[in-house]
Amino acid sequence: MKTIQTEIPEQLYKKALALVKDGWFRDEKDVFTEAIRRFLDTHRPELMEKFIRDDMEWGLHGHD
Amino acid sequence: MIKVTLKIVCDSGPIIHLDELNCLYLLEDFQEILIPETVHKEINRYRPSSFKKLSLPFNLSPGNIPDNAPLLTLCRIFSLDVGETEALALMEKNPQAIFLTDDASARMVAEQMRFKVHGTMGILIRAIRRGQMEAEEVLRILKDVPSQTTLYIKLSLLDEIILKIKKEYNL
Repeated sequence: MKTIQTEIPEQLYKKALALVKDGWFRDEKDVFTEAIRRFLDTHRPELMEKFIRDDMEWGLHGHD
Repeated sequence: MIKVTLKIVCDSGPIIHLDELNCLYLLEDFQEILIPETVHKEINRYRPSSFKKLSLPFNLSPGNIPDNAPLLTLCRIFSLDVGETEALALMEKNPQAIFLTDDASARMVAEQMRFKVHGTMGILIRAIRRGQMEAEEVLRILKDVPSQTTLYIKLSLLDEIILKIKKEYNL
């Protein structure tokens, strides 16, 4: 496991804490690990790049 | 320039990013800008100035979840937030509209539903084609994206886009 130190908005932290207090997660660490895992699952570099390229194509040659 | 008769449904990202670049006026080209309630709140929280600067054709819509079960399921599978989910519910009711988002997950769901979807980069580059800005001006703005906005883009890809525009417009 890797330990990281970062700053996050207060509101985000409170929301994570609320999930822990409600019993959905063991601790805040688990909330953030799950959040990052889900983010990485859906933000694959090749896909993000494809979206930007599609946008460029639409911007240059689209019809609307 | 004649306005297109297209509606757009907005997620918060493109409005915030275009405002960061002082380019929000580019949305004047659309007939109507549909903003779901939660997206409106998000923009007001992070970029309250966005709604005050211009008289854009904003239309605040009530925040609803999608009626379509497959769409709602996709929103949940991709962990879309409330604003993105409400925006996609609006797309469900306005399927001819363009959905503007810079979020990869929301975009994936939109494409899965066969909605037209674009983002901030598309709107900026489109501005040349639509005669809203000169190509040189768009190039200057694109170079500002990493330092002036909260939009994440790989620098090598941004360079590639800049080169492509230069080539396209013989600059």
